[in-house]
Amino acid sequence: MARFNLFGKSENRLRPVWQAAVPDHVISVAWSPDGAHVAAAAISGPILVFDARTGKPLHELKGHGFGTAALAWQPNGALLASVGQDKKVRLWSAAAGTEAHALDAGASWGEKVVWHPSGQYLAAAAGKVCRVFDSTGALLRELPAQAGTVMDAKWRPGTNHLTLLAYGAATTYDPLRGTDPVKVLAWKGSPLVMAWSPDGKILAHGNQDSTVHFWYYDESRDLQMWGYRTKVRELAWDMSSRYLATGGGPVVCVWDCQAGPNGPEGSKPTMLQDGHDEEGTLTALAYQSRGFLLASAGTDGRVILWQPTARRGAQVGAFEFAGGEASVLAWSADEKSLAAGCGSGALAVFRAG
Amino acid sequence: MPATQDRVPVTVLTGFLGSGKTTLLNRILSANHGKRIAVIENEFGEIGVDQDLVISSEEEIFEMNNGCLCCTVRGDLIRILGNLMKRRDKFDYILIETTGMADPGPVAQTFYMDDEVKAATTIDGIVALVDAKHVLLHWDSHEVQEQIAFADVVLLNKTDLVTPAELDKLEHLIRKMNATAKIHRTKNAEIDLTNVLNVKGFDLDRILDHEPDFLKAGGHHHHHHEHEHEHDEHDHSNCDHDHGHCEHDHDHDHKHEHKPQALGVIEHDHVHDTTVSSVGITTSGDLDARKLNAWMSNLLKEKGQDIFRMKGVLSIKGEANRFVFQGIHMLFDGKVDKPWGNTPRSNKLVFIGRNLDRDELTAGFKSCLA
Repeated sequence: MARFNLFGKSENRLRPVWQAAVPDHVISVAWSPDGAHVAAAAISGPILVFDARTGKPLHELKGHGFGTAALAWQPNGALLASVGQDKKVRLWSAAAGTEAHALDAGASWGEKVVWHPSGQYLAAAAGKVCRVFDSTGALLRELPAQAGTVMDAKWRPGTNHLTLLAYGAATTYDPLRGTDPVKVLAWKGSPLVMAWSPDGKILAHGNQDSTVHFWYYDESRDLQMWGYRTKVRELAWDMSSRYLATGGGPVVCVWDCQAGPNGPEGSKPTMLQDGHDEEGTLTALAYQSRGFLLASAGTDGRVILWQPTARRGAQVGAFEFAGGEASVLAWSADEKSLAAGCGSGALAVFRAG
Repeated sequence: MPATQDRVPVTVLTGFLGSGKTTLLNRILSANHGKRIAVIENEFGEIGVDQDLVISSEEEIFEMNNGCLCCTVRGDLIRILGNLMKRRDKFDYILIETTGMADPGPVAQTFYMDDEVKAATTIDGIVALVDAKHVLLHWDSHEVQEQIAFADVVLLNKTDLVTPAELDKLEHLIRKMNATAKIHRTKNAEIDLTNVLNVKGFDLDRILDHEPDFLKAGGHHHHHHEHEHEHDEHDHSNCDHDHGHCEHDHDHDHKHEHKPQALGVIEHDHVHDTTVSSVGITTSGDLDARKLNAWMSNLLKEKGQDIFRMKGVLSIKGEANRFVFQGIHMLFDGKVDKPWGNTPRSNKLVFIGRNLDRDELTAGFKSCLA
């Protein structure tokens, strides 16, 4: 592809290591905390566990009947959690390739599963409810039903608080203590995805109406950013909590939260041009959590590595799947490797940096 | 956007519990058509499937934009359709079975308002099942009226339980509400499936293909007119007829220029109807694109909530080709179609909705004549 010659003589910093087949569109990918394994979920159900070094498939887990939606590997632990359309949350001893627990998710069409950073608690959202389990599979709490399907669930960094994103509000709970909301940030609209700034101060959510909403959590103050081409499902914060990369179209748009007295309000975001096909849209964004690199994936099948703050030539690496969209991205724990899933059923692992 | 034929067609089945939706679904699924069909059902039914797929979902209505009613969509359908379209296991056809209480508006709007859904699927038609024996018991309910008003096809089902005279009366009532739907009388939902699948009810290339009778009446549009064909640099830059465009235009350039013209407006027995009705307008003469745009924008802004469906073929001054459009509430979907050629130029349009004021609509439309 001609446009990748933009690097000139500089090297492509996204170096393919291996590629392997997955039975269907890759809907989620997760690294084990020790970096030894990487798991990929096919949209139709099966979960494959690969040797991260060689790409050799070690186990095919049955996943969820009719479909798996999300994966999350236990931090500091050995369990791989998954959720799907069969009303179950499943915990796998992934290295052994066996199922450890099958838990009742409370509703079919499970969408999200997320571990507390301690690895002790697991939140799983299905339909309008979210259940919190401990790592033995015991149910700790079922949080009150939301106004609509829980679109996203995230632990607020540095706390035991869990934020649920659903139609009309982002509601934060303290599930270890009870079911009363700690804070309700009401907003009349249909949100799709959220991301907490790593310092826990700003909650951003991308929306169906092609906007991004920022909440300064403690003050309950909000900002809305618009001008996106399509709905925004891709959000990624940089490690400093200063920059938020957003999708909602073919161009990565990076907001600077220190642009002015009111954060990004009124500022002109950085647009990372000449990366993805203008006809497509982004599908995923992932920032390193301790580095400056941002990866983007698009319906054009490309995976692009950016250094958004670089003065010249923000694009530092690129790859293109032979057919099908690039669907998901995940950085390994040491952040030296990047895994990317493909819509036509493939997983690729890169050395990046 | 991929061509229409590359997108998976979707048929929406509406009707009250007991009207025969499940029977029809089972007929479609068991027919030997060789198609892989996915069914999204909001109501628990006894559906027998082997190679097909049935997904149950709970209706979730979302207002996409703050308080904008025309942007009301079905969040559950966006999620499920998005998921289905990503699978390697492709489906040839999708059926959505709604509950008897569902509003067809948000279902239809979902296919225009969500980019992902719009790119991969296309709404083919809304099929309403009507229980001929019992429908009159809840004839005044909003749900019954909306389901009939939105429909491209009405199956007047359970014909064996009523007399032919009752059927005639019922068909007449349905026809008054929805002048463009095709009405079929069925027993046990027995029908040739070509009448319910691939009906292309929202296809701009097929707008008024089967012209409703009430637009044919009068015959005013049959005589030939001489028109000035100005082919000089006409552009459509003033014409804000985007596909799936949501009319938020606040342009109040709404002039009424009543020109004395022979207009083939068909008189009906109601002038102002508080229930659901159809208003058809047929006129000769060319329309001023700017006036039409202003009138339509204003109409949709003011009355969009009450207009369920509209469709029409228009003759725009200076434009050699027909302009075709269809709409759902405030959503307007239009395009420049084939040339008029030797066909007499005329304007034909139909509004289906609640509280429609025939005289006001007609006068407003006439004021757009060039």
